[in-house]
Formats: sequence, structure tokens, C-alpha cells
Amino acid sequence: MKLFARFLKIPFWSWFWLILGVLYYFLPLYATLDFSLRMERGKISLKAYQMAFADPEFLRTFGYSIFLAVMTIIVSIALVVPTAYWVRLRLPQARRFVEFITLMPFVIPAIILVFGLIRIYSSPLTIPFTSITLMQPLTNFKVGTNILIIGGYVVLGLPYMYRSVDTGMRTVDVLTLTEAAQSMGANWPTTIIKVILPNVRTALLSGSLLTFAIVVGEVILASFLGVPAFGPYLFLLGQHRAFEPAALSFATFLLTWAAMGIIQLVTGGQSQSSGAH
Amino acid sequence: MAYLELDNISKIFGKTTAVADFNLKVERGELVSFLGPSGCGKTTTLRMVAGFETPTNGKVVINGKDATNLPPNQRDVGMVFQAYALFPNMTVAGNISFGLKIARKSNNEIKKRVDEMLELIHMPKFGNRYPYQLSGGQQQRVALARALALSPQVLLLDEPLSALDAKIRVNLRAEIRAIQRELGITAIYVTHDQEEALSISDRIVVMYDGRTEQIGTPFQIYNFPETAFVASFIGTLNAFNAEIVDVQQKILKIEGINVVTAEDLEGKKNGDKVMIAIRPERLNFSSEQKKANLIDCTIANITFLGSIVRIQVKVGEINLFMDTFNNPFLDLPRIGDKAEITCSKEAVIFLKQ
Repeated sequence: MKLFARFLKIPFWSWFWLILGVLYYFLPLYATLDFSLRMERGKISLKAYQMAFADPEFLRTFGYSIFLAVMTIIVSIALVVPTAYWVRLRLPQARRFVEFITLMPFVIPAIILVFGLIRIYSSPLTIPFTSITLMQPLTNFKVGTNILIIGGYVVLGLPYMYRSVDTGMRTVDVLTLTEAAQSMGANWPTTIIKVILPNVRTALLSGSLLTFAIVVGEVILASFLGVPAFGPYLFLLGQHRAFEPAALSFATFLLTWAAMGIIQLVTGGQSQSSGAH
Repeated sequence: MAYLELDNISKIFGKTTAVADFNLKVERGELVSFLGPSGCGKTTTLRMVAGFETPTNGKVVINGKDATNLPPNQRDVGMVFQAYALFPNMTVAGNISFGLKIARKSNNEIKKRVDEMLELIHMPKFGNRYPYQLSGGQQQRVALARALALSPQVLLLDEPLSALDAKIRVNLRAEIRAIQRELGITAIYVTHDQEEALSISDRIVVMYDGRTEQIGTPFQIYNFPETAFVASFIGTLNAFNAEIVDVQQKILKIEGINVVTAEDLEGKKNGDKVMIAIRPERLNFSSEQKKANLIDCTIANITFLGSIVRIQVKVGEINLFMDTFNNPFLDLPRIGDKAEITCSKEAVIFLKQ
């Protein structure tokens, strides 16, 4: 009864906007789910899912995209954590500049990024004014292309990863924690590994999840660099099939939700960082 | 030789001098407080001892060893921070054992030391709790235990009680002092709270605008302030300009009233201007006891402050504060009453201008 009375106290317009928001987000999702279940005429079935998962190309592209996502996350963490840490600790005046840089992917479309990458890395790296080649074009071999696309994905995921990590560091007061660790004899690597990283775990997981979602569904970089990733596969599938792309879209959405659930489970207690009084 | 020596250290940030020509010798087992208002350089000085700031000039010597350029993790100093700075991802025991693990102590040794520290802070059953499960006072006690676990050469406390409420602050400062005495550890304590500094310290360094104003025992600092700043910062004070009218008899004139002092007037002559001060508690009504100086006044205000009653009196154009101990049978005058107050000649002290 108390709960009902509390609901009644919420103003009409609050309910209106909440319901509108829920409908806006969930109706397309419901439509996708409904469509994916209607492959067999007049019957609700999981046939579209069976067919989509049975395609060896799905497993291959999805597996490859997961590999790219994991590598992107590792490189992003290795790049962003020390950067955000150092900016917060020693270079607070550079914070605006770094934030501006990390926001560039919002301003520069992925198509421009990929053309830039191809333009620069499709020719061999030579010592200027000589014919000595230092490195073959990265686009010419598989490892090189992987490096290139992972680099591109790191850039695309930068706004999400940097913001997550930076916010995480702000909430735990990294400066004081670092000084506390150092006063007890810890060196820089120990401080970062044992004190800083565990305390920005939630932020890292959030940033990683967002990066994962971006990489797995990304189409433009993967298409132009010609790699067999999940995004282009889904795009191609959608051009000549109807139900399977819907099934795969919904499945990847569930996967993302599952990942979010795992994050909540893993980091459930960490949000209580303030003291009891 | 002093255990901790700060030899003429200065710290300049850009165009701002945060600390200038700071000199201090701290003996082993001594607790010295840095006291001053915000921005006076006390925390910067402490951070130079800890190694978080490098002095622009001067030397930091700990136990005979020049530590000026040593990084913080090689100085063997323990630090307690204002914001506790406990590691949120570790339990109380994990926090206390952090430094011991880095020092590669054996598991048995670590367990024994953690138990000792938990006993020391009276929290033997809290080892498995996380910082967020503790109150502010408990967190600060754990922070103290963590800093002491490695038996550091010097313990540094940076306003450790500022974030706590008044009652806990009073209890915890007594606990900190007891632990410091029990372990005989050399400690530097930064605070802006004069009562805290007076109650906890062997000696106090009063700082203002990056400079040392006075170094002395709490008794010396309170009763014999050397500068106008120290006098005004520590406790309530009646301070005013006076003129020497008779060097031989040590008589001064304030607002047309003659006052006798016990201060040494050597080198001074009649007509010299001086700044003098009288503590409110050294004034009382002449009806209780007559002393060397008798001053006619009018009662301007009476403020009840719990254990004391503060009476504001007007003497000509100047206002004086007089403190008297509260008791239930106190016969207080009324505002506007005429009265006569008195103080000894020793109560009239000179201040450096």
C-alpha cells in the first residue's frame, strides 16, 4: 500500500515522459524480436536463430570481432589508464586538451578516419630521400591490417574509455591514494596495479563494455579495410536475408545486456566507497 | 643531533613562495605541530618531509641521512591523511598489511603485526571489514595503524581530525597522543585548530604566510606570544598600541590610562610606541582581588560560553574582553554598569610588530 501511495505521488508528467522513453527504446526492440520469431509463416519459432547460428560464417566473423574487441580493450586500457592517471596526478592543466583529443571521434566520422589510415599505411615506410624501406604497407599483410583496425577502434572507443576511466579516477581521489601507497614504500607499478586499477575496476569494465559493443557492431572500418568482421557480415546478410539479421541483432543485444549484468554482479559492492557515519 | 632536521628549506611555486627559510630540529620521540591558517605553508612543509614536494632550497635530514632528494617510497615515513586515504578495495587488515607486503615480510610476521596494530587502535575484530563499513573515526584509526605498521622513522599527520565531528576529534586526538607516546615515535602534526595543537604537542611551530612566527611549547606559545599574529591566532586576545611614558617605572599609556608592565624595557625610551597584549583570563574585577593595574570601565556585553563567561568592557574608546570561570552562583554585573577591572603587571606583554 505504501509503495502504491508513493507511486501516486509521482507527478503525471514524470510518468508521461518515463513511459514515452520506455516505448521509444523498447518498441523497436520488441519489433525486432517479434520479426525474428516469425520466419515460419503463421507460427512463432526460433528457426531464424537456428539458421543464423548454424552459418559457419557467423561463428568465424563473430569470433574474429570478439578477438578485435578484446585486443582493442587491452590496448585502450594500456593507453588510457596511464594517461588519465598522469593527467590527474601531474598534468591537470592538460586535462581539457586531452579531453578535446578524446572527443575527436565524435566530430570526425569513421569514414574519414579509415581513409586517412588507408592513405598513410597503404604505402611502405621509407627513410626520407632514400629508397630504404623500413616497413611494408600495413594493409598488405594480415597482422598489419589487424594492427591498423585495432588502432582505428582504439580511436573510436577513446571517448567512452577515457571518460569512464577519468570519472572513475575522480571518484576515488587517485592523488591521495597514490601518496598513501608511496608513503608505505610502493613504487609506481605497484601503486598502479595494486591500488589504482582495482579501484577504477567499475569504470574500466564500463569503458570496456562500450568499446566491446562498438567494435562488435562496427561496419565502416572493417568494410574498407576488408577484414572478415561481424559488422560487415551482418550488413551483407541483411541485404539478401530478412529474418536472420533480425535474430542476430537481437542476440547481440542480449549479449550486451548479459555483459552489463556481469559487470553489475562483479562490481556490486564497489559503489559503496564512502564511509559509514 | 636532531632526529629530523629541516635546514633552511623553502618552496617556491612559480611566483608564489609557499615556504620561506624554514628551520626546525625535532628530537626523537617528539611531537611537533605545525599550526597556522590555510595557505600558511604548513602542509607544504609536511609534504617536503614526506617527499611529495622537493624543496626549492634547503635540506631535509632524517636520522642523520640527507633525504632531500629521496622519493617518498624510500624515506621510511608514515603518513596519515585528512581524507583517510584508505584503499577502498582492501579490508582493514589488507590496508594495514599493505606496506608490510611491499617490504616483503613473512606471512607470520605480517599477521602478527596486523593483530598488534588492530589491538593498538582498539579494533581487534575489524580486520575483515571494508573501509566503507567503518565510521570516519574508525577509518582514521585504521589509517593511523596502517602508517604505524612499518614502524616508520617519522610519522606525519596532515590535519587527520579535520573531517571528524567535534566529540570524536577530542577523543581521537587523545588516542593519537597516547599511541605516539607509547611507541616513542617522532611525529609532525599539521593542524589549523589551535586547541588541537595546544593539547597534543610537545612543541608548536606557528606559521603565517610561509614563515615561522614562533616555535615553542604550548605553554610558551599561549602565554608568551612573540608576535601580534601568534597572539591573535592563539586564543582570544586584547591587543592595542601603547606609548611608553616612564621607562624607569615601566609605565605605559593606553587611551589616556596608565598601565604598568613587567616587560624588559631596556633599549627603549619615553615616547616609544609599542604593541601590547593582555589575555582575557588575566583580567578580573577588582572587587575580587586588586592587582598592579586598576582600570575603570563600563560593561558593554556579556556572553555565556559554557565553562567561561566572556565580559566585554569599554575603557574610553577601546574594548577589552575579560574571561571569568562560570559557576552557578556567579554574581554578574549588568550591561551598562560601571566597574573596575584589574590585572597584574606580568599580564601586560609586548608583541613584536
